[in-house]
Amino acid sequence: MGSRPPVRGREARSRQARGRSRWRGYVYVLPAFAVYFAFAVLPALHTAYLSLFEWDGVTLGDWVGLGNYAEIFQDPILRRSVFNALVLVVFFSFVPIVIGLVSTGLLARYRRPGMGAYRFLFMLPQVVPLVAVGVTWRWLYGDDGVVNQVFRAVGLDGVTRAWLGDFGAALIAVGLVGTWVLSGLCMMLFLSGVQKVDPSLYEAARIDGAGPVREFVSVTLPQLRGELAVAMTVTTVAALASFDIVYVTTNGGPGEQTTVPGLLVYRLAFSEGKVGLAAALAVVLSILILAIVYLINRLSRDRT
Amino acid sequence: MDSTQRVRRRIAATVCAVALVLPLTACEALTPGSATAVPGPTSVPSSTAVPDGDVTLRLQFADAPLMVDALIAAFEKEHPHIGVEPQYKTFSDYVQNLKLTMTSDTAPDIAQYAVGMTDLAADGHILDLAPYREAYGWDDAIPPVSLDQLTAGRTSEATGGRALFGVPAGLSMTGIYYNKELAEKAGIGAPPTTLAEFEKQLAAAKNADLTPLGVGALDSGGLHLWAALLNQLMPTDEYWDWVNGKKGATMENPAAVEASELMVEWGRKGYYNESANGTAQVDSTAQFAKGDSVFLINGNWAAGQLATVMGDNVGFFPMPGEKAGSPTVASGFSVSYAVSSKTEHPQAAGAFLDFLTSPEAGQIISDNGFLPPNPEAVKKPAGVLADIAEGHRRAVADDGITTFPDFAAPAMLDRLRSGVQKLIADRVAPAEYLDSLQDEWEDHHGE
Repeated sequence: MGSRPPVRGREARSRQARGRSRWRGYVYVLPAFAVYFAFAVLPALHTAYLSLFEWDGVTLGDWVGLGNYAEIFQDPILRRSVFNALVLVVFFSFVPIVIGLVSTGLLARYRRPGMGAYRFLFMLPQVVPLVAVGVTWRWLYGDDGVVNQVFRAVGLDGVTRAWLGDFGAALIAVGLVGTWVLSGLCMMLFLSGVQKVDPSLYEAARIDGAGPVREFVSVTLPQLRGELAVAMTVTTVAALASFDIVYVTTNGGPGEQTTVPGLLVYRLAFSEGKVGLAAALAVVLSILILAIVYLINRLSRDRT
Repeated sequence: MDSTQRVRRRIAATVCAVALVLPLTACEALTPGSATAVPGPTSVPSSTAVPDGDVTLRLQFADAPLMVDALIAAFEKEHPHIGVEPQYKTFSDYVQNLKLTMTSDTAPDIAQYAVGMTDLAADGHILDLAPYREAYGWDDAIPPVSLDQLTAGRTSEATGGRALFGVPAGLSMTGIYYNKELAEKAGIGAPPTTLAEFEKQLAAAKNADLTPLGVGALDSGGLHLWAALLNQLMPTDEYWDWVNGKKGATMENPAAVEASELMVEWGRKGYYNESANGTAQVDSTAQFAKGDSVFLINGNWAAGQLATVMGDNVGFFPMPGEKAGSPTVASGFSVSYAVSSKTEHPQAAGAFLDFLTSPEAGQIISDNGFLPPNPEAVKKPAGVLADIAEGHRRAVADDGITTFPDFAAPAMLDRLRSGVQKLIADRVAPAEYLDSLQDEWEDHHGE
């Protein structure tokens, strides 16, 4: 919500003055709004507008109305990509949050010196550019990569494979890269959240005889609701809008096993000359993301 | 309710209404893109005479920057009035921006030929060079087959013959590399003369507990293999019609089914490296160089690297045909250059293209690891490079250089790549795979 002008004036103020001050508030917002409108709202509207055309990016477009949207829901590859993105939510969002919570539970019970160092370590994957992360993991998952070396070392020669080229394993392998990247972020969010918790709450719980699990469920978890909402929002968006990791590791293959909507938007618009269809897919993807984010925020705001 | 809130709601409602109505009332002026007709000439002038005065040409390209620099230096020495300013872009960058670049007002005078050029040719954004083909006599300087790849499937309005939208600098060709030591170990004596013999050699390698064939199917290695098999089984004319988008052409034919079935069968028999689908072409090449497989599918662009690492231990042959007497057919393309219709110096651009067909340019091209369009004019290469030159000579003599299948449509590369990955993993029926290709083809060429 935008900032609201202070309109609750005294009765003595005239109506006119109240009206003027109300509009003055909007004037203050104007520069920021103009920038936001020009660089965020307008392009989004333009994308939505382009999605109503069949356009190759060069020659005159053909008005097709909602035809592109119909195509999205009929095309098996596009549908498959949405399904893949939803599977990635498990690996990008659900698993990192669980890992983050468990490690927070383990680390937060007793404050020890050196917490800063932990936080720094967990944050590291966030600092590395995703393309570098992708390239590195492609090596790790390769034929002679570290992953296979580990399996061979423990005698599991039978399970080794080129993980990113295996129809059964590729999506999971890509998902685990996301888990690696985002677990640290979740952990860091939760750790800093826990530090805001009033220590007397823990004390009270302990005096009441709560064990570590009970303490975590009754004190830590409720206090982290805000951080949980942020973590869920950020990681879910990362999963649904994923592009870089997939592009670098598998480019959507093998077959369409790891094709995600973000990758298709890029391909359709820039190499296949179907700008309208790409725009339509981008709009659908945005709506899907907004809906899920709205849901997450609703759920996390309740019961306060 | 407080009046501020009411005002705010009203504003919000208005904004929403405008946002909704705006796109629905699309008027002509707001339609994206521009009308197809491009003003100005669609072909080069008939005269090749370069006007006096200093001229600078801008050349945008994506392959072999060292070769381009050397070619430009040699050209400028011969034509002191004409300067060429190279603008290098990475390949993916180049291809993705090609249409925007060539339709903009600041299009480069000369640009490397790439997938989108067919559409640009159709809309008149690049010049038809057919008049220069006759005036300069390019057919005598280089084999006509390498020019016929660059017709974009069109007829020239200027000459009435085949159109021409580019002139090749270096040529490329795919085929099979083999590790001589490992081949001997598997009891394989000489390069195969028929496809059936090649299959027997793959089986022999398998029996010797070696990986028979390295494929880098994560990117384009798989589709090179598929195209190589298709080249032997499908009539070359029909293949060309399909790639050029000729009405009625289809990939759903018995020969294509046979080629696709062969790919599946080789996978079932374990002829490919186990992780073909997770291996990029450069990685499969590195693995082959290490001695991980007996054979490798790749193009001549890998030859320099393989010759350096493996020395005399590596050889090359084009995929053999069904019978010993079958023509040699291999997929390949060229690093070629097209001329923008926005150029103010078509004659100077023509002089540059003509220089590419000269023996001097041929030597520069050969020195940089590409196949020169005019092989007789250059020094004989040695080792695996000689194998490639010989294979290419045979294919050219048999009129058997076909273009890559992904030239059929902009989205074809993705269909081919993911489809071939499924063939290798035995995840799709050949008919279903070909159907997906044909769908994409009709999507692009239909109407």
